[in-house]
Amino acid sequence: MKTIHVFIIFLIVALVQLVVPAKMIFDREEVLETGTTYKFKTQPIDPNDPFRGKYITLNYEMDSAKTNDSIWKQDETILVYLENDSLGYAKVHSVSKEEKDIDRDYVEAKVRWNYGNSNTVKFELPFDRFYMEETKAKPAEDIYRKYNRIRDTLNQTYALVAVKNGKAVLKDVYINDKPIIYYIEKDNNH
Amino acid sequence: MKTKLSNEISELLENNIISQQVASNITAYYKSKEDNQPNRLFTVFGVLGATLVGLGIILILAHNWDNFSRPIKTFFAFLPLVIGQILSGFTILKKKSQAWKESSGTFLFFTIGSSIALVSQIYNIPGDLGSYLFTWIVLALPLIYLLNSKAVSILIIVFASYYACELGYSFGYKDKTPWMYLVFILATLPFYLKLLKTSTLANSTSIFNWLYVLSFTVVLGTFINSNWPVGFLMYAMLFGVFYNLGKTPIYKDQQLRRNSFTVIGSLGTVVLLTILSFHIIWEEVVKRASIAMNTQEMIISTLLLGVAFAILIYSKKNEKNETFNLFQYVFLIVAIIFFLGVANAVVATVLTNVLLLVLGLFAIKIGADTFRFSVLNYGLLIITAVIVCRFFDTDMSFVFRGILFVAVGFGFFLANYIMLKRKKELNR
Repeated sequence: MKTIHVFIIFLIVALVQLVVPAKMIFDREEVLETGTTYKFKTQPIDPNDPFRGKYITLNYEMDSAKTNDSIWKQDETILVYLENDSLGYAKVHSVSKEEKDIDRDYVEAKVRWNYGNSNTVKFELPFDRFYMEETKAKPAEDIYRKYNRIRDTLNQTYALVAVKNGKAVLKDVYINDKPIIYYIEKDNNH
Repeated sequence: MKTKLSNEISELLENNIISQQVASNITAYYKSKEDNQPNRLFTVFGVLGATLVGLGIILILAHNWDNFSRPIKTFFAFLPLVIGQILSGFTILKKKSQAWKESSGTFLFFTIGSSIALVSQIYNIPGDLGSYLFTWIVLALPLIYLLNSKAVSILIIVFASYYACELGYSFGYKDKTPWMYLVFILATLPFYLKLLKTSTLANSTSIFNWLYVLSFTVVLGTFINSNWPVGFLMYAMLFGVFYNLGKTPIYKDQQLRRNSFTVIGSLGTVVLLTILSFHIIWEEVVKRASIAMNTQEMIISTLLLGVAFAILIYSKKNEKNETFNLFQYVFLIVAIIFFLGVANAVVATVLTNVLLLVLGLFAIKIGADTFRFSVLNYGLLIITAVIVCRFFDTDMSFVFRGILFVAVGFGFFLANYIMLKRKKELNR
């Protein structure tokens, strides 16, 4: 093969290498800018990833729904339609396998398992990783524990998530009305 | 090297062993040979440097600089990638040396990883390590062929194995069979076959020999689902494929340190048989193995058996007066023993022990016939292994065991001594 041909193929490959991360950005930016934001109650714990750094895993309170559809396979995609409860947190409106003709936001989640007879399906919301600066992920977990001890309806940890057409982008993690970072920095200053 | 050579030449010249003409011919020959050879050291350091810098960038970005704004972080996500691409593009366009290709390819490989890592970080993109590695490998794969780069090919094989282990060995409900690993490995094969054709005996080619064998050996376990006792059969068949590959004309006459197929094929079989020589293992096999043909484990075993058999026939066809080598047929015997073992643990245990002993004796015979001490002692080691293992699960008296050990010890000594003597006589 001639050099110029190899080079042209290389240019195409290089373009794909640029487009893939760019598309990842573009998709998220669109959801962030035009999507609706929901609050998902959650609890954080901190693991780490060898390439992408420290993050906190978010376990969401909202992880199951009632359904009459008893055949759910593990890892199947489930559409979770959302509504807000009286305090402004997200809760399940309904679940479905296909898009429904209703004017509500939904997120795509993965089925974990279902209890065949109780008509309940367990699912896993996809936005479960919140990347943090390496020194802050562990304190984030501790701070959550500290605030969680004073358990009442006012003390809540939740994730702020932008949702549009089934896609969701995690924006930030809040305790009460401030980002979790605020508490970590406040703790550090003491 | 060079000064040593010129010293030798001048010495030969002084003593009138060679003429001036011959001397200058020799010098010219070695000089041209040197010019044709790219600077290997430069390539190695280039690749090492690029790897370290690339990994360093990934680590620095993994810190997560949360006081930078999103646009700045996004800029840094693309900066290393674009630099890597410019370097690689320049290398292709200007037809730079192999050292350039290997180094820029390696650097670009790691910057692809850093770029998608940082984007994942900025936007909290979910997805486990497996899916991240998957994207990375797919984006980097074409570089093997575009840059004709061994380093990138090695990285792809290593990362594909990493991906497979991440997917297949993560215990829990997320355990999956990494089928895409096969696609990745298949995609690297044309490059390897070309290397085999053009530079069979190069050191870099033997790195690939070892890499493939180790990767397959490690990854095969990820293809085992619930029917795990059949995993023994899968591995036995894989080692059968390896050993017979090692006996094909391409690898047959290569030194053992290059011929990973023969080494791991033989060693793997012996280790596996040693494990299977315990009665308790076969009891588990009887209890839990399913030899129904519709399980993934049985299908893979059958496929590997077919491949090993095909290679066996191929190499037998090529060698007319080849002597009988039991090691080449072991996989067939193990397959038969396994099917007996599913029904009867005792029969299988006895047969496995007998097979191991026979293999040990056979290795001793090969060693003695070819005057290779390594093979001779390998055979003795196999026999010792059988005896040591039986130490644990039989109720022989201490005296009897003691006598057995003394006997084997003498066997080691005698066998080596007799062969040394015969070799000396032959040399005389």
